[in-house]
Amino acid sequence: MTPAAAARKANVAKVGDREISIERTFDAPRDKVWRAMTDPKLVAQWWGRGNPLDVVTWDFKRGGHWRFVEHSDHGDHGFEGRFAEIDPPKKVQQTFEWDGLPGHACFETMTLEEIAGGKTQLRVHTIFFTKDERDGMMASGMETGMNQSYEALDRVLASL
Amino acid sequence: MVQYLDAGFAAMADATRRGILERLGKSPASITDLAEQFDMTLTGIKKHVAVLEDAGFIRSKKIGRVRTCALGPRTLDRETRWIEQYTRMLEQRLNSLEEFLERTKGENDT
Repeated sequence: MTPAAAARKANVAKVGDREISIERTFDAPRDKVWRAMTDPKLVAQWWGRGNPLDVVTWDFKRGGHWRFVEHSDHGDHGFEGRFAEIDPPKKVQQTFEWDGLPGHACFETMTLEEIAGGKTQLRVHTIFFTKDERDGMMASGMETGMNQSYEALDRVLASL
Repeated sequence: MVQYLDAGFAAMADATRRGILERLGKSPASITDLAEQFDMTLTGIKKHVAVLEDAGFIRSKKIGRVRTCALGPRTLDRETRWIEQYTRMLEQRLNSLEEFLERTKGENDT
């Protein structure tokens, strides 16, 4: 992370018990942020967080399918979903699912707002699966050790 | 349940606390060990340990003058881990987007 990026670190908030919301300001005009987020050739340059990324499918329209495969040192990870609503240059809604947890799609709403000084505010709002489902999962617990969990997490996130 | 979940999220929201869990995943450790490893004061480490203990991730036991910490009864289920993981990935992606925008500053700005 550059010092500038650290200074503008994303602000993460939990909304209710199955939603998160992240706001982030970018020092770039909205049209440019929109292009970076919706032109697959540009998406490929940042979405992988430093890992090589294949944009396997990018059908940028309502109902269209997208699929990315991120290649980390520890393996390949696929992510996919469908676009739900597209309103250039300010809003994209899509489903998001990781291959490792099939069926647990979450729903993302990304909005871009122009703010003073030619900057852009991005807000990502994500709703996870239902509360009942999540509570059930919490109640059932898991036997896997925390250490293993975090090793797995680090493998997935190996980009630092 | 909501409070339980919130305590879990709060406990996991900190890099030192995640580090403590990772450390305790290998073997139990005393507060002093943890303070040395994470280069913190005893008071600082105790605060982190208290948060993790309240959330059920670890438990601690005082024998004589030494308080030993170990992983607790609660482990994160796969789906909850996914939310943590998703959030971290999203933050990293936004950092990455910012770096991309900085790198291409002035190119095709409209």
